[in-house]
Amino acid sequence: MFKELDPILHSQLRLAIISLLVSVKEAEFTYLKEETGASAGNISVQIQKLKEADYIDIEKKFKDNYPLTICKITTKGISAFESYVKILKQYINTKK
Amino acid sequence: MENNELQATESMDIINKMINSAKSKLADDGLLIIFWGWLVTGSALIHYTTLKLNINHGELVWAILMPLGGIFSAIYGRKQDKKKIVKTYVDSYLSYVWGAFGIALVITLFCGSQYGIKPTYFCLMILYGFVTFVSGGLLGFKPLVYGSLISFACAIIAIFLNETDQLLIISVALLGSYIVPGHLLRSKFKSQQHV
Repeated sequence: MFKELDPILHSQLRLAIISLLVSVKEAEFTYLKEETGASAGNISVQIQKLKEADYIDIEKKFKDNYPLTICKITTKGISAFESYVKILKQYINTKK
Repeated sequence: MENNELQATESMDIINKMINSAKSKLADDGLLIIFWGWLVTGSALIHYTTLKLNINHGELVWAILMPLGGIFSAIYGRKQDKKKIVKTYVDSYLSYVWGAFGIALVITLFCGSQYGIKPTYFCLMILYGFVTFVSGGLLGFKPLVYGSLISFACAIIAIFLNETDQLLIISVALLGSYIVPGHLLRSKFKSQQHV
């Protein structure tokens, strides 16, 4: 019997964002936008959902008078990502 | 990218694509490595020439150019930091490695004023080799690692040379460990920017 995949991570954009954040120390909103190719509005909504689940921290500050959003994965986020990948591998291996 | 429900293989593809994309970005543009390579080599060669031509106070070249180099590095580093939209773990490790290198360099130069310049040049080449070896490993950029070996080799050769000729061997060490790998690193960085 397989465990269910985490619904927070099992969506295209949220998974892409968390995969990027797991690979870096911290990233600006612009970076997430560039790498995923998603719209700013869509990313805003998804990072908010990830924050509500405590998977990421969001820091808001200013750089040269422009608002700056910095995202960083949390320990809980890393654990959730690792569990997600583990279950995913089980799914894929049974299908082979 | 939309926010659709996923199949297991699609999920794995997204994870791989994003992680590879984040990892493939080179964390250093190589400019400061090239800059310091040329600056120290130039200073060493000017000092060497003044010694050979019996011109007094040739050592002043260090006192003038090194602080200027430090100011340029600080300004450039700050500008680069501002431009960065992502901070990787490699960025963080590199800043600690180069920070430690800077401190070790200052201590070595201070000790040089007490113990004489001959052991100082030797220590400097060891430090150049060390910092480029570790940086090359962190960046996954082999030319820096191989270049560092030239610096280590030059340090050994320097033991058998007098102070004047050590200035030449320092130039060779920097050519091998900073200048050549630095240019290669910069060209790789630039090619990534155009992808």
